[in-house]
Amino acid sequence: MSGSGRRRVVITGAGVVSSLGATPEELYENLAAGWCGVRRMSEWKETSAPLAAPAVLRENVEKTIPRIFRRSMGRVGLYSALAARAAAEDAELSGEFLAGGECGCVIGSTMGGSGSIAETFRLLLSGRGEEIPATQFFKCVSHTASFNAANLLRICGVVESPSAACASGLQAVGLARDLIAGGVQKAVICGGAEELSPEVNASFDLIYASANAAEGESREEKTTGEPRPFDAARRGLVCGDGAGILVLEELEHALARGARIYGEVIGFATCGCGSGLSQSDASAILRCLELVCRDAGIAPEAIDYVSAHATATVQGDREEAAALRTFFGARVPVSSLKGHLGHTLGASGALELIVSLLMMRRSEILPTLHLEQIAEDCGGLDLPREIRRREIGVFLKNCFAFGGINATLLCSKFKR
Amino acid sequence: MNSTFTEMLEVPAEELSPEKEIFKDLGLDSLDMVDLMIGLQRKFGISLRQNEEIRKIVTLGDVYAFFEKLEAKRRESAASSSGGE
Repeated sequence: MSGSGRRRVVITGAGVVSSLGATPEELYENLAAGWCGVRRMSEWKETSAPLAAPAVLRENVEKTIPRIFRRSMGRVGLYSALAARAAAEDAELSGEFLAGGECGCVIGSTMGGSGSIAETFRLLLSGRGEEIPATQFFKCVSHTASFNAANLLRICGVVESPSAACASGLQAVGLARDLIAGGVQKAVICGGAEELSPEVNASFDLIYASANAAEGESREEKTTGEPRPFDAARRGLVCGDGAGILVLEELEHALARGARIYGEVIGFATCGCGSGLSQSDASAILRCLELVCRDAGIAPEAIDYVSAHATATVQGDREEAAALRTFFGARVPVSSLKGHLGHTLGASGALELIVSLLMMRRSEILPTLHLEQIAEDCGGLDLPREIRRREIGVFLKNCFAFGGINATLLCSKFKR
Repeated sequence: MNSTFTEMLEVPAEELSPEKEIFKDLGLDSLDMVDLMIGLQRKFGISLRQNEEIRKIVTLGDVYAFFEKLEAKRRESAASSSGGE
């Protein structure tokens, strides 16, 4: 038990599906090498926003999932299930434990199966409604990422699917923490997943939040923009997809079975702005930072690294930078992985949390890719531009979402 | 017909014999049956969704018989319509 009377919660497994690696270690190596997952989506014929960072799957990996489970999976369900299976294997959880009711599954996404939803409407609107498969609905629903992973692993505990746009993945980890800390579950497979679709990509372009969107440029010229978090030349995000799934586990349970521990979840907070649709708000972010420190019972001085939300939008990066400047000054190194991976929306919080755990294990901080000239409105922060060796005892993960929703999570190195 | 089972529903070819019950022996369920019908609709260019006979299918042999009957009906109506010209 912690001082607050809650059970202590540790992270004992991780799995990813991403544009830059099929395992956490492979992803980390490619991030450290400065790779960028963004490419031009030549397969999207009719879109004003052709840039994206799509997940790369190993050839025929989907065939490793029996058809009876695979038939209800669109891409987001598949990503989620693959990463969840990898996380459970990484944690060495037995099939018996997974199916025994003491393990839950909480996985969120922004859209559910956005590609499957679009496909359904295309069939309906073209008068081919009779061709819609019986399993299509299950690929579309907003909890498709969660139930598909849960079914593949035969999980019979709590199955939930928070949906709060880009904060979905981190909210899922927070909910999982609460389920274990409160004694409801011994372990929870949790995180976020997202699938790209031209329809969602174009939505960011429409509101000038995308790196594709520069006025007066042709479709071809729009393909040159990379996401540049905190940079003076940043002009918006690039959507990516994939999944980041973790195993959270009650400390005593993990110790009793000799599990390898990545770190401890010591704090979580989520709050609304009380207003706002698409724009972050520094004062609400600041409140979320205060709430997470209060939840963990630590002072800001105890935090050694911040994994920023920073998607490379003009307004969002400015507001996050303002909040971090007020909260930390220039004392704490801050970096964003959106330059490498694009913005994986509902997957981003959990995916970037996994990378941050590896940074903590390796005692190094990965820099923000494509950050060349720090923007004036993002100044007054410590923004590494190359890999920095640094002991990380505690780190903070930020996520801020459409609808005015903020989420923050604190992890520490595990100490008995 | 069998290729729809092997390709779409990934049932091993050696499992496909007429006496096999679709749910019990082949491990399929009602959702698979709907998708099977959609696949066969596409393959044979006919609409099956409103056909009540589908609900009576139990074995793979029933599926074969259902389509044989459908094909016979189609030929019959084709013959009668061409005979009227």
